[in-house]
Amino acid sequence: MDNIWGSMAQYDPLIWHWVIAVYLFLAGLSAGSILIGIGLRWTDKNIYNGDEETPILKAAALIAPLAICAGLGCLVLDLTKPFSFWIILIRYNFSSVMALGVIALLIYTPLAFGYALIVFRNELSCFPQLTPITKILMGFRKVLEIFLFGMAIVVGIYTGFLLSAMNSYPMLNTAVLPALFLFSALSAGSAANNLVSISFFHGRVEDDQSEAMHRLEFPVISLEILFLFLIFVGLYYQGGAAVEAIASLVTGVWATVFWVGVVLVGFGIPLLAMILPASVKHSRGLAIIVACCSLSGVLALRHFIIYAGQSYIS
Amino acid sequence: MKLDRRTFLKSASAGGVYCALSQVVPGTLATLYASPLEPVGQEVMSICEMCSTRCPISARVVDDRNVSINGNIHAAPYGGKVCARGGSGHSLLYDPERLVKPIKRMGERGEGKWKEISWEEAYSEIADKLLAIKKKYGPEAVAFSSKGGSQDRELFYMARAFGSPNVFTHISTCPGGPYVAAASMFGGLPKCDFGNARYIVNFGHSMYEGIEMWEAQAMMKNQVDKGTKLVAFDPRFSILADKADEWYPIKPGTDIAVALAMSHVMIRDDLVDLDFVTKYVEGYESFVKETENYTPEWAEQISGVSAADIVRITHELAFHAPHALVDYGHRSTYTPEEFEFRRALFAVNILLGNIEREGGLFFSQKAKEYNGLAGEKVAPELGTADMQVPAPITQRIDMVADKQYTLLVPYGGVYQSILDTAIKSDPYPLKGWVITRSNPLQTVTDRAKVEKAIRSMDFVVACDVYITETAALADIILPESTYLERDESIYDYSLKFPAYAIRQPVVKTIGDTKPCWQIWRELAIKMGLGEYYKWNDMSEYQLAQLGGDKEELAQLKEKGWLQYGEVPLLLREKKMVADFTKKFSGARTPDADGTYASAMKFRTPNGKIALSSSFVETIAPGREVIRYRDVKMKKEEELFFIQGKVAVHTNGATHNIPMLHNLMSDCSLWIHPETAEKLGIKTGDTIRIHNKIGSEEGKALVTLGIRPDTVFAYMGFGSKNKELKRANNRGIHCGNLLPDVTAPVCGMNLHTTGVTVEKA
Amino acid sequence: MQTNYVMIHDERRCTGCQSCSIACRSENKVPLTVFRLQVQIEGPHGAIPHLHYRYHRVSCQQCENSPCVSVCPTGASYVGDDGIVSVKQKLCVGCQYCLAACPYKVRFIHPETKAADKCNFCKDSRLEREGIPACVDICPMNALIFGDLNDPDSEVAKVLNTAITHKNNPHLGTKPRLYRIPTKRGGIHNG
Ligand SMILES: Nc1nc2c(c(=O)[nH]1)N[C@H]1C(S)=C(S)[C@@H](COP(=O)(O)OP(=O)(O)OC[C@H]3O[C@@H](n4cnc5c(=O)[nH]c(N)nc54)[C@H](O)[C@@H]3O)O[C@H]1N2
Ligand SMILES: Nc1nc2c(c(=O)[nH]1)N[C@H]1C(S)=C(S)[C@@H](COP(=O)(O)OP(=O)(O)OC[C@H]3O[C@@H](n4cnc5c(=O)[nH]c(N)nc54)[C@H](O)[C@@H]3O)O[C@H]1N2
Ligand code: SF4
Ligand code: SF4
Ligand code: SF4
Ligand code: SF4
Ligand code: SF4
Ligand SMILES: [Mo]
Repeated sequence: MDNIWGSMAQYDPLIWHWVIAVYLFLAGLSAGSILIGIGLRWTDKNIYNGDEETPILKAAALIAPLAICAGLGCLVLDLTKPFSFWIILIRYNFSSVMALGVIALLIYTPLAFGYALIVFRNELSCFPQLTPITKILMGFRKVLEIFLFGMAIVVGIYTGFLLSAMNSYPMLNTAVLPALFLFSALSAGSAANNLVSISFFHGRVEDDQSEAMHRLEFPVISLEILFLFLIFVGLYYQGGAAVEAIASLVTGVWATVFWVGVVLVGFGIPLLAMILPASVKHSRGLAIIVACCSLSGVLALRHFIIYAGQSYIS
Repeated sequence: MKLDRRTFLKSASAGGVYCALSQVVPGTLATLYASPLEPVGQEVMSICEMCSTRCPISARVVDDRNVSINGNIHAAPYGGKVCARGGSGHSLLYDPERLVKPIKRMGERGEGKWKEISWEEAYSEIADKLLAIKKKYGPEAVAFSSKGGSQDRELFYMARAFGSPNVFTHISTCPGGPYVAAASMFGGLPKCDFGNARYIVNFGHSMYEGIEMWEAQAMMKNQVDKGTKLVAFDPRFSILADKADEWYPIKPGTDIAVALAMSHVMIRDDLVDLDFVTKYVEGYESFVKETENYTPEWAEQISGVSAADIVRITHELAFHAPHALVDYGHRSTYTPEEFEFRRALFAVNILLGNIEREGGLFFSQKAKEYNGLAGEKVAPELGTADMQVPAPITQRIDMVADKQYTLLVPYGGVYQSILDTAIKSDPYPLKGWVITRSNPLQTVTDRAKVEKAIRSMDFVVACDVYITETAALADIILPESTYLERDESIYDYSLKFPAYAIRQPVVKTIGDTKPCWQIWRELAIKMGLGEYYKWNDMSEYQLAQLGGDKEELAQLKEKGWLQYGEVPLLLREKKMVADFTKKFSGARTPDADGTYASAMKFRTPNGKIALSSSFVETIAPGREVIRYRDVKMKKEEELFFIQGKVAVHTNGATHNIPMLHNLMSDCSLWIHPETAEKLGIKTGDTIRIHNKIGSEEGKALVTLGIRPDTVFAYMGFGSKNKELKRANNRGIHCGNLLPDVTAPVCGMNLHTTGVTVEKA
Repeated sequence: MQTNYVMIHDERRCTGCQSCSIACRSENKVPLTVFRLQVQIEGPHGAIPHLHYRYHRVSCQQCENSPCVSVCPTGASYVGDDGIVSVKQKLCVGCQYCLAACPYKVRFIHPETKAADKCNFCKDSRLEREGIPACVDICPMNALIFGDLNDPDSEVAKVLNTAITHKNNPHLGTKPRLYRIPTKRGGIHNG
């Protein structure tokens, strides 16, 4: 039969595009780096009481607010009515993951900025106007840190929940996704922290904190692989339309993005780098390359999930 | 480009010549600023003209662009519904590419250079040119053609006053087969009672796509609500075939064999209503003799339909007689033996004795007949404001050689005979052509020949709503107002009781267009024929039709549809006749058997149903009795090429209308998987379809819904003129692949041929 | 909920004529590039000569459990007192979450308002004015039945109690209120 009902272009299940993938990446990145930054600060007995902040923490405190702002920028720009974005700030549907996300981000973002003020209090002393605020904040540093840490977990998970709350796409409709996103956010955060601390804050690869961060990488990547595996096994056992989504691993451009971008670059290279001799491992160049690979891998993962995920509908 | 009315008028008066290739074509709606719709009333009752079914509608203006069109609920047989085309009338109304000013050709024919002119200029020029042709060659040298139905009478009236016998409707491209067959057998065309039949056999009448509203609705209700069995013969899997209980992918052009075999089986197995045949039918014996050899086994050889199925279907059909029917079809151009094919279909109905029976064939009860039977004036009889115009003296071009098309002429003659006559000046020169509401370049076969015929003429006028392929070759194009903007005379919609409907404007006219009754009246006056026009405008005309009854007219305008008598009447249904006589005290006394059978009038020479016709023998020797003749429509190695209507477009008319173009902008060629595999063709491939007539490029659709030896396309696509920007070159132009072949007696323009298909 | 409007698409009667699609466009001023409704004719399926088409109405299913409503951050997508799932154009920011979340993929961004849009049973047009959606009113084959299921005397109630019907993707738990009466040949296919 000829098509006599008109263009079917609007039924393309692919609704969200790269801007949203970038948004999810940036939000994850923000949360991941602050989680790692604060986490290391809590666990690092050496500097915990020192006045000087570590390069990693500085990196995290810088990345967290900037990345989340860039991410929110993407989100607003992707709206079909960007000038109406304020509506989303005043009207809440509490059954909507997105609305909950907005609330989380509304708490998280100022906290991230506040924390940056604390961490960069010395650098910002040239802006005396800020000093009183910083002073007050300093008094609540621990509380703020705990809250920020908590909200960062929420944000990291939220980026996954945003997608998994939809039952329209079998590949996305899984409880594993928030966990996967949280852990890949940690990957991204640690890579970005590394990159920024080395580049801007005289961070050194053989620092204790740096080492601690590297020790996290192996378990984080392992968990990510496990979660990915679980998603596809889940699809397989779900049956029906879901099974078709497994094909995304073998067909189309997103299969390539997955195997090359996510697996080879994102997991493979960082894992290889781990087994290199310490002398090579501690070279600044390699550290930068590995960090870039990890970040690319996470970005590729977000794209893969967004695109391949939306290609198969229930 | 947006122009306001002022600058538009200025540019027009500056005498600018524009090219069709530039963005805005002169005379089109795009040259006007976007004027909002001005409703005429809240909810206006009118008549659709998106196709020739002309359903009664009710229309409401939604906003400055949208009109919500639905069926007129008073018009019960039409169900108060419209189809997709009927619903998109306002998209035509508001199409920037619609013509809203008269335009005149500036460059060569078909070059696309146009200039806007005033109506006055248009009339003067047309009058001069036509009168010049009349002077030089005689009035018969101008042909006049209009799609049958919507005010064709006005054009033909002018033509007659002008003195030309050469007037044509679209009949020979459309339903001429059944019309002529029925004319020879019954003296008129009966209708099928689709809503009440208990068994229906259908030969290539795809009425769920080639929508005839009241028929399709009645049939669907019958099928679903009453479970009536429908058997479909069609080389392709149409929507109707899908809805049918049985589908036979019959070999194109061989239906007649099956129909004759059905008659054979009825006679052989004693299934004929002999009582009916004895009383009302002549020529039965010669028919019996002729069909002796038309066995089911013979038909199987020809058509591919198994003998066993033919026998079974015939028995099932006859079991339900007389409440069973064989649909005689609508478009009827499947074989050069159309005349015999359609006669063979009527023959089965006659043997079933289903004439004037519920679920059979019936003749509509117009006011005259109905009033006559009721013995009182139940319904007004439609009069006219026209006068007696002397008949032209010259013989029509399609009647010079012999008289075989005699029965077709009253319905509009052999349309395609214009082509050869114009090209060869045989039997006499044809130098002018006035075409309205007809697009022969798209809808008459052999496009190149139609074009050649137009080019061989001195002067051609087209009246249309678009610059169609045909209009694009004319010298002057006159824009008719769309049906949503115009009024027309009252039309007879009688079925089992008398009914009338009326068309009236829904919105005020946009641009500078006129209804065609006004155009032809004004042109006739310009040509000095004013004496034939006693009326000035349509309301006067309508009033004259109703014998001056203003109240009746007001009511008709309010309701849009009036039906009279309430009691549906089939002359041979006892129950109906009883109800009828109960209702009308002065009604004719029923016959002894309680029916009005004696009131059946067949306008044949002997007043009987002519199963075999001695009259036909006089106009076409050798054709008295229905007979099978071998036909050859293609070369052995070629594939049959057949066409059909699609639900969302009308013939060669709607493909540029935005809302419909938006539903379907292209058509593909249906090819059976086996054939496609041999040719290495896959769905979506660009293919070339060609034969000695022409060559077309198109897209392939590989589907089981077509016979392996046949290809199919929805017709009307592939318009080749640049003025229609949307429709231009989209899809297959069927007319460009069909030879100009005329079927004997019925004069039908054959639509089936052979083609070669290959990957482009 | 005072009313529980449902629609039944009788695929035995439907000829895929698209009249409904056109009526919807005219009545609801739907721009040409988008559709609130299409009737897609799928096939032919099966083997000769027992082929069959499927007539698939693609439009909002008016889910009782509507994911589009639960995901909408601003409440622009909402369920009215009449039970109809609809969109408040002014509250919509165009995040497209509902487009993504609708498992039937029948929502779109209206090219003029830039808000999410879809079939709303003519809530603000013909239903409001004449008590019947445009597509139902126009269908030449009477293949669409509409009414309030809370009213036991309604035609929809009668049909749903007597005819074989099915819904699209019932396993998703969305509880569509668009029912299908299958054609007489071929299997039942959802989605
Ligand atoms: N190959 C092939 N050819 C066919 C057929 C086929 O199946 N295959 N079908 C045949 C059949 S059944 C028929 S009936 C004919 C039909 O063919 P035509 O008789 O040519 O009729 P249409 O194509 O319906 O419309 C003709 C013109 O009327 C114009 N028109 C529409 N509305 C108006 C109006 O209000 N006023 C005026 N003045 N013009 C208007 C349209 O723009 C169009 O150009 O085609 C036949 N030709
Ligand atoms: N939507 C829509 N409705 C219309 C029209 C329209 O253009 N569009 N036009 C109106 C007009 S003018 C007309 S005349 C009617 C026409 O309505 P129909 O008489 O139904 O004509 P077609 O639609 O051309 O359908 C012809 C069918 O016959 C089949 N066929 C072709 N050759 C043969 C053969 O040799 N044997 C058999 N058995 N079948 C064959 C084709 O495959 C096709 O399915 O529709 C009217 N209604
Ligand atoms: S069948 Fe459709 S297009 Fe033809 S007159 Fe009726 S509503 Fe109009
Ligand atoms: S209008 Fe009716 S018959 Fe036509 S496609 Fe729509 S539902 Fe089917
Ligand atoms: S079909 Fe889609 S848009 Fe309609 S109610 Fe269900 S989820 Fe919402
Ligand atoms: S696009 Fe509009 S209606 Fe849809 S979820 Fe976003 S805000 Fe709600
Ligand atoms: S109910 Fe109204 S909005 Fe929904 S498809 Fe039908 S006409 Fe369109
Ligand atoms: Mo026709």
